[in-house]
Amino acid sequence: MGIYEFRMPDIGEGVAEGEIVSWKVAVGDEVIEDQDFVEVMTDKATVTITMPCDGVIKDLKFAEGDVVPVETVIAVIDQVGEASSGHEAKTAVAAASAGSATAVTVAGTGTAAPPAPARAAPSEARARPGRVLAAPATRRRAREQGVDLSLVPGSGPSGRVTNEDLAAYIEGGTPTAAPAVPVAAQAQTREPVVVPQPAVPGSEERVPFRGVRKKIAEAMTRSKFTATHFSVVEDVDVTELVKLRKEIKETYAEEGTRITFMPFFMKAVVAGLREFPSLNATLDESSEEIVLKHYYNLGIATDTDNGLIVPVVRDVDRKSIVQLARELNDLAARTREGKVNPEELKGGTFTITNAGAIGGLFATPIINFPEVAILGVHKIEKTPRVVGGEIRIRDVMYLSVSIDHRIVDGADGVRFLNVLKSCLEDPKRLLVEI
Amino acid sequence: MTKSSQSNGKRTATARRSSGDKPVSVMDAKGKSGRSNDPGLDKDELLLLYRVMVMTRMMEERALNLQRQSRIGFYVPCTGQEASHVGTAFALRDSDWVFPAYRQPGIMLLRGAPTQQIVDEWYGNEGDLCKGRQMPVHNSFRAINFVSISSPIATQLTQATGAGIAAKYRGEDTVVMTYMGDGGTSENDFHAGLNFAGVFNAPVVFVCENNHWAISVPLERQTASETIAIKAEAYGMPGVRVDGNDVLAVYQVAKEAVQRARQGKGPTLIETVTYRVGPHSSSDDPTRYREDSEVEAWRKRDPIERFKAYLKTKRIWTQDLEDEMRAEIKTEINDAVKQAETKANPSPASMFDDVYRDMTSQLAEQRDELLSSGQLGPDEEGAFPL
Amino acid sequence: MAVMTLLDAVNDGLKTEMAHDDRVVVFGEDVGKNGGVFRATAGLQDEFGEARCFDTPLSECGIIGTAIGMALYGLRPVPEIQFLDFIYPAFDQIVSEAAKMRYRSGGEYTCPMVIRSPYGGGIRGGHYHSQSSEAYFCHTPGLKVVIPSTPADAKGLLTSAIRDEDPVMFLEPKKIYRTMKAEVPAGEHVVPLSKGRIVREGSDCTVVAWGAMVEVCEKAANELANRGKSIEIVDPRTLVPLDENIILESVKKTGRLCTVYEAPKTGGFGSEIIAIVAAKAIEYLEGPITRVTGFDTPFPYTLEGIYMPTVQRVVKGVEKTFSW
Repeated sequence: MGIYEFRMPDIGEGVAEGEIVSWKVAVGDEVIEDQDFVEVMTDKATVTITMPCDGVIKDLKFAEGDVVPVETVIAVIDQVGEASSGHEAKTAVAAASAGSATAVTVAGTGTAAPPAPARAAPSEARARPGRVLAAPATRRRAREQGVDLSLVPGSGPSGRVTNEDLAAYIEGGTPTAAPAVPVAAQAQTREPVVVPQPAVPGSEERVPFRGVRKKIAEAMTRSKFTATHFSVVEDVDVTELVKLRKEIKETYAEEGTRITFMPFFMKAVVAGLREFPSLNATLDESSEEIVLKHYYNLGIATDTDNGLIVPVVRDVDRKSIVQLARELNDLAARTREGKVNPEELKGGTFTITNAGAIGGLFATPIINFPEVAILGVHKIEKTPRVVGGEIRIRDVMYLSVSIDHRIVDGADGVRFLNVLKSCLEDPKRLLVEI
Repeated sequence: MTKSSQSNGKRTATARRSSGDKPVSVMDAKGKSGRSNDPGLDKDELLLLYRVMVMTRMMEERALNLQRQSRIGFYVPCTGQEASHVGTAFALRDSDWVFPAYRQPGIMLLRGAPTQQIVDEWYGNEGDLCKGRQMPVHNSFRAINFVSISSPIATQLTQATGAGIAAKYRGEDTVVMTYMGDGGTSENDFHAGLNFAGVFNAPVVFVCENNHWAISVPLERQTASETIAIKAEAYGMPGVRVDGNDVLAVYQVAKEAVQRARQGKGPTLIETVTYRVGPHSSSDDPTRYREDSEVEAWRKRDPIERFKAYLKTKRIWTQDLEDEMRAEIKTEINDAVKQAETKANPSPASMFDDVYRDMTSQLAEQRDELLSSGQLGPDEEGAFPL
Repeated sequence: MAVMTLLDAVNDGLKTEMAHDDRVVVFGEDVGKNGGVFRATAGLQDEFGEARCFDTPLSECGIIGTAIGMALYGLRPVPEIQFLDFIYPAFDQIVSEAAKMRYRSGGEYTCPMVIRSPYGGGIRGGHYHSQSSEAYFCHTPGLKVVIPSTPADAKGLLTSAIRDEDPVMFLEPKKIYRTMKAEVPAGEHVVPLSKGRIVREGSDCTVVAWGAMVEVCEKAANELANRGKSIEIVDPRTLVPLDENIILESVKKTGRLCTVYEAPKTGGFGSEIIAIVAAKAIEYLEGPITRVTGFDTPFPYTLEGIYMPTVQRVVKGVEKTFSW
């Protein structure tokens, strides 16, 4: 036993509605399959529809003369005999007589809603502005290597990423470029961490761990597990520096050059490295030599929308502060546009990392392995200090340096910072000594 | 299966043709016309007919030579059928339309197509009206209402009917004459063309040049009908059978049919009984499948010789006239050939014109790509085997 | 083994199969007495009699329609259409009847027949003796389309086509009928349908071509080898049903694709091959896909030589796939 809802049929050919010409049955009638049921008129033809099942007419919802849209329920029948089984969906009505004798089909109405599509995994990184151009095969290789193509500088036409660009990026263009020197064994001999499914579904979100994030992870691990890090922190009264910068800022703003504090920090670093060259070095593990470098290529760690990159400014000792400023401006712009060349990410001897704008008093930065040391510069704040026996409000900042203790001892680390401090507290020294 | 071939393996096509009315003739075998059905053409008209038939023959001989010399690629001779098509077409006005098959070259000459353009088409050079696009003999002349020739058989028949229906629709008294061979009567378009013409009472004269051969297939394999003319009855039009090698007879019969059409009395099917003395085309060798004796018998019934004899009886023909006429024609043909051979090929860019009325962006792109590629020469060339 | 032309290989294939299977009958215009205008059926009437090799009236529709009837009744007809350009009156029978017979009858009626027809340009045949119209038939479900490019393949594929239970369009590249000569196995020689052939192995670019174009591509490959590029040529041999694998494996190996077909560019079958590769192997492409084709105009008479893909155009088409 069941209820059969009979709907105005779609007899095809674009018919959208039908008029009930005459009922051949009445409410309460016992009916049998195939007996005349209702006469319906459409634009195309007038057809007599026959009973689709046995039963008793329970309800006729429209009157003769009514025009009813296709698919509307026009009659309800109490079926007798075997139970209906989802009958109202997809029951073919017997072919009509008169007019165009097309078979009439009641379209299914009870289909289940399709399951909601699975949420697509979030893309591994935000795309840089504009689409990345690359050959399909290049894309596959990038995907297989876990590289986000939008981070790879492209040297092909219209900035297309070529296979060579990709290879170069994978080999040496990442923030933690590995040298040809084999790296000391990393602590990779433990069991991998497995996170089981959460007790409360939906309380956790899984983000694919690949691309740059993974690359950074590998590089940091390598650094921390090889270089024996120690950090030293110093505070610096940069009131004079702030004044100096303020004075010269306007002059150069006119030509479109932004003078930040970074060029000054870089010059101070060079001063320090000249005195303590072991901080501007690399340990050659195969030959067991500390390679002291007499050139000064400073990597400026930069946080971008696409992650951390470290473009390198070369020969900082040979460039004036203004030149450095210009170069930094250009680098910043090109970094924003994703147009930094792979070459520019290589060859650094020392790295400066600057999170000052965001916050934090000081830090214990991780060395940009296989360099020996990394300097963190932090925010400049008005702070009360004792000057000449009196409390003055001064511009003060912290410097933090992390150093590889295998190569440099703590005392030299402190002395190195002292050089920086004196240069930055008395900027005249930068003019005279650099 | 039908009757098998002769003991030497070759066939004849006329063995079965015995019953049925004798085809209409005006001249006897020797050119004598004592019959009352002589159409009574005047001297100029007779000489024009003669000249056109002779020129058709002379052009064909030159063309076949050129083909054998590889100076043109292909030719379709009509040896023995000159009267059949020239005579029928002579019944038309200039404003009437002709839908030819591909073996009616004399009609172009008759209606005034420039010899140079006919020859340029053989060469497919830049002087060709059809811009070197079609094989030789596939001419087209809008100025004389001679409709573009295609290779597929009988397609012109339905088109002719359509043109006739259009003329009626316009209220014009244009008559359309269209041609086919015995082979053409087997194609779908024969049935459809004649059927439509009958139903719509179209002013069309269907001329079937029954030359007894469709390449190597003889008439008896083409149809089981007694004649081709009787097929007309199936379509509700009169069918007339005429001696195709009698230019005056074909003219007379055509004239009557054209008149009927022009008076709104509908279509006619004319069967001209003739013979393809030569090969189907320059790629065909009929000695492979035909009895030489049959060919020779028909060669003796040459329509030009027969007409010459008639002109002799009328004292119109003289040897001087013949010599002078042939000399003129020879010069005209030679000049046209010489000229044609000085002309260049059509430009590669022209290949992309006339696909549609308006150039499409795709065609322009393809054209520009070809022109800028600098590769405008073929790797090699092949020869047409047919 | 004997060295013979592609044309003679067709003849040999017909002869061999007619001897093998007396259900095979051959007919068409001029094929009996005359042995065909290309002589493809030469000698068959003498050897097997007029009942098995005969001339018909001039009617393509009649030829194909009657062939279908014969096939339904249990014969294996191999009708010839003199030039593929003339097949259109029979198009209704081929598309509406032969192609759909098995499907519409629930498999009760089948249509095993082979329509042989010379196709393609290169013989100065103009609009109506040069068309390469395989695309119309490739686009018709129920038909198989087979195109040999060598004498041995001509014989072998024809044998398979005749033995196939479905209607086959067997298109013979007339340009190389007499110019292509090679060894052909004697006696029964079967080359399976739907199996392509590596014409030439290479590593830098895949070129897919069939019929008379294969030879052109081979010459282009030689030229490209001089320029340091190794070309792999794939001849599908059966266009429908296509051996996709052989093409996909090749593209995965070389990373580049160029299809070559003499038919008009738009809607040509090479486009279908490109679509399949784009759908199934796009991640292997190192550079753009190109096609070298005829133009979207009717096939011209005088300018035939620049219409058909030339060696130089194929070379250029392949080089473009390296333009990245």
